Amino acid sequence: MSKLQVLTGAPNEIVMTRQFAAPRRLVVKAMTTPELIKRWLGGVRAEVVSVEVDLRVGGRYRYVLRPHKGKEFAFGGVYRELGEDRVVQTEAFDDYPGEALVTTTFTEANGVTTLHIVVAFESEMVRDIVVKTGMSEGAGESYDKLEALVAGL
Amino acid sequence: MTPARLDATFTALADPTRRAILARLAKGEASVMELAAPFAMSQPAISKHLKVLERAGLISRGRDAQRRPCKLEGAPLRDASAWIDRYREFWDASFDALDGVLADLVKTERKRKEKP
Repeated sequence: MSKLQVLTGAPNEIVMTRQFAAPRRLVVKAMTTPELIKRWLGGVRAEVVSVEVDLRVGGRYRYVLRPHKGKEFAFGGVYRELGEDRVVQTEAFDDYPGEALVTTTFTEANGVTTLHIVVAFESEMVRDIVVKTGMSEGAGESYDKLEALVAGL
Repeated sequence: MTPARLDATFTALADPTRRAILARLAKGEASVMELAAPFAMSQPAISKHLKVLERAGLISRGRDAQRRPCKLEGAPLRDASAWIDRYREFWDASFDALDGVLADLVKTERKRKEKP
C-alpha cells in the first residue's frame, strides 16, 4: 500500500500515516499480538529478539531488537487506552531520555485501513530537528542542512 | 551517543537565548562581547548560557585568553537528527513487512470462509 507519510502536527508532534490493504480488525490484531509482531517489527532492518505484550489498560509492552547494522536496542511503555479504533501508549527507548505519547487511530474504508500515528515528544526541539532536516530525504542530505537548521532556530 | 549527552543537548536547546546564540554562531565564530551585543543581557548572563552550551558539546571555546571565541560544534545536533532519522526508517521498514503479514492473514481468513 501507500508508503509511510510524514506530516507535521503540533510543535511537539510527529504525525505519520500509512495505509494497509486489510480490515481494521486484522491490522489491530497484527500490531498487538506478540507472535504476529515478531513477524514484521523491524522489517528487513532488524531481527526481533523479544516481544512482550500485556494487552490491557495499564499493561506494559517491551520490544527488543537487533539491527543488522548497529547495536541491540529496546523500547516499550504502558498502554493507556485500548479501543477498537484507537490505541494510546507511552513509548520510551532505553538509549533515549524522556517519553513520548503515541496515539494510533485505525480507520477502515473499502477494505483499506488507514493508520494515523501521532508521536508527541516531550521536547518541541525534537520535532523541529525532524522537520527542518527534511525527513523524506537521505541522512547525508540532512547533515548538509545542519547549518541551515541551526540558523533557522 | 549516551542518554546523558542527548539529554544535555535537548536541555541546552530548550532556551530561546541559547538557540539565538547558536544561530549567530552558525554564521561564524564570535567572542562573548560580540554575542552579548544583540541581547539585552550582561556578559556574565551570556557567559552562563555559553557554559550550558559548552557542557552539552554544542559549542567550543578558543584558546586565545583574551577573546576566547565561541565556535559551533555540529556533532550533538547531528546525533539528535540522526536518531530521529533512524526512528522514521525503523517504522518505514516495519510497516513494509507488516504489509506481508497482513496479506497472509487476509488469505488465511478467506480460505477459512470458503470451507463449508
